[in-house]
Amino acid sequence: MDRNDIKKWFKSPDKMGDKYSLWAIYFCTGCGIIEIPPVITARWDAERFGVIPVATPRQSNLFLITGYVSVKTLRAIIRTYEQMPEPKYTVGFGSCPINGGMYWDSYNTIKHLDKYIPIDGWIAGCMPRPEAIFVAVTHLWTLIDQGKAKAYVKYREKYGLYRKNQEMALGKLDWPPLYTTGGGND
Amino acid sequence: MVINILEIIISPVLAFIIGIFFMGLFRKITARLHWRYGPPVIQPFLDLIKLFHQQGFSHGPVFDLGIIMALAGSIVLILFIPFGGICPISNSGGLLVIIYIMLFAPLGIALSGGEAANPNISIGISRKLILALGYEVSFLLALLALMTYYNTISLVDIVEAQDNYKWALFSPLALSGIAYFIIMPAMLGIRPFDIAGAPQEISTGPAIEYGGKYLGLFNIWHALSMFVYIALFVDLFLGGGSNPLTFFIKMLVVFILLTFIHGVFPRFRIEQAIKYLWKWPVIISLSGLILITVIR
Amino acid sequence: MISALKNDLESIFKDIQISAPEDDRLIINAQKDAVLTILKFFKDKGYDHLAMISCTDWIEEDEFELIYIVGSYSVYAPAAEDITSDKSGVSKEAAFNGGNILLKTRISRKDPRFITAIPVFENSEPYEREIHELFGVDFKGHPRLTPLFLEREYKIPPFRKDFDTRRYVKDFFDQIPFVENKEK
Repeated sequence: MDRNDIKKWFKSPDKMGDKYSLWAIYFCTGCGIIEIPPVITARWDAERFGVIPVATPRQSNLFLITGYVSVKTLRAIIRTYEQMPEPKYTVGFGSCPINGGMYWDSYNTIKHLDKYIPIDGWIAGCMPRPEAIFVAVTHLWTLIDQGKAKAYVKYREKYGLYRKNQEMALGKLDWPPLYTTGGGND
Repeated sequence: MVINILEIIISPVLAFIIGIFFMGLFRKITARLHWRYGPPVIQPFLDLIKLFHQQGFSHGPVFDLGIIMALAGSIVLILFIPFGGICPISNSGGLLVIIYIMLFAPLGIALSGGEAANPNISIGISRKLILALGYEVSFLLALLALMTYYNTISLVDIVEAQDNYKWALFSPLALSGIAYFIIMPAMLGIRPFDIAGAPQEISTGPAIEYGGKYLGLFNIWHALSMFVYIALFVDLFLGGGSNPLTFFIKMLVVFILLTFIHGVFPRFRIEQAIKYLWKWPVIISLSGLILITVIR
Repeated sequence: MISALKNDLESIFKDIQISAPEDDRLIINAQKDAVLTILKFFKDKGYDHLAMISCTDWIEEDEFELIYIVGSYSVYAPAAEDITSDKSGVSKEAAFNGGNILLKTRISRKDPRFITAIPVFENSEPYEREIHELFGVDFKGHPRLTPLFLEREYKIPPFRKDFDTRRYVKDFFDQIPFVENKEK
């Protein structure tokens, strides 16, 4: 811990707390989840970064979407994301959430996850190595430090647009809107 | 008078710091046993900062009050337990009062969880109460042996009677001490008895609906209860301490032994746990009680 | 053994082609009326496990091919003269576990209808549901042909060869705008 770190601690302890205690929800989509068990156990030990897997969305603040997202999984992802307390961070893992990847012309796999929920950062690759998760975590630290990891604020502000996209993909949603304000420009 | 008030303020703060330190050490030692590097020792403190800064979801007034009640129960309990020289109101109560107040914290958690109405919470709470049914028998038998041997219910008197290294663990009370030690993982909810909050089975059980500051309060309660049960063991069987430092070192030794048990054992199923808890600890503590009544 | 089974089948059923490409595999091409009787025959012989029902779209021949894969947990008892000894010392008999039976049948693509196999193998229910959803084959007598996997309704069932996935993606997923672009 260098001197700059101590200065930051006094300036904004909440930011430092968010940084060094990222609790990731253990949500499995697609093939990328096979990289998570080595990351959290003895081989790569994510706990030294403060990253631990938690079982419920209420306790988590980091959402790793690991792999392709089918239309049915998108429903679960949106529900999980809306249950997480703010501030919350999302990271798309693998090339499938970025632009469809090898499922680019599939009839039932969504391309471009960021049309439906906001994403703070992406990890490219098919599959990314476990080290890539740590690179992503340290990048996320920098983003939090600079105040750029504000995807959840964006979700609040443009909730109307996101909700409209979600309804286009899934049909009528059977849960009430999360925010009543923030309609975008519709 | 002034010193007394100061002690009432200081001892919960001290318990909080030691509890949080123990939680960090707990994670670190477990990680080293797994041949991992592990988180920094201050990691639970960082988590607390984050949790209190995070948004929390309430499920109603009883949800809020239940967790505060659990926390208040633990803090009152701390005031009755002598910590080295510091014992704020231990003169006005004894072991019987402690046994009663110990019920407060699980009750608060149960009330709070009942408001959230998640099926996993009810499973977790019923598991916790069944587990309590398991260890309470041998716990009470061990305390009964202590009260019979020293002929008092006051904790301070028990600690004073063990002065000059006449520790209860190395006296005829050894059997009761061993029984208390082997039910302690069940009291603290660590492996092999972490059935109530098993994250892989019932998604951390009672804590499932807590988020943000509620989870922070829950973690503080967990840290305080960790302090309470270990401090009680040190007071009853290891002769307390003449000053807070020796007391703390004794606590540390007991705590590290418990962490080793946590690090190497898998989890019991609930019926295996009950079978175990009603067999060996009850046999040991009951024979300890019979021994005390015979030699006294 | 598989050859005994083959002889049995040929004596009972006419109008079927049987081939045995491997020692433990039997491929039967049957008319669609005979499918349930043949399945029943295998079940009586001790083949108690329907592994899966698969479907293939032969678009040039304008036909769907349904494939019933049947296996056994209890070994098929062969005739005594079939027992021969292998070179390795282990008799072929001991190594034989009933093998796999592939029962194939063709149905019309224009009017894709068939009868359900639930009276013979009850576990065919989800497989038939899946084939109904992805190929549009209608199984008569099936209790609930409701959607199993898909969230949306498709004009052409998506596993048919004439379903253009690229066009579907362009028409549907690519029409959903990015939130940033929409704002401008």
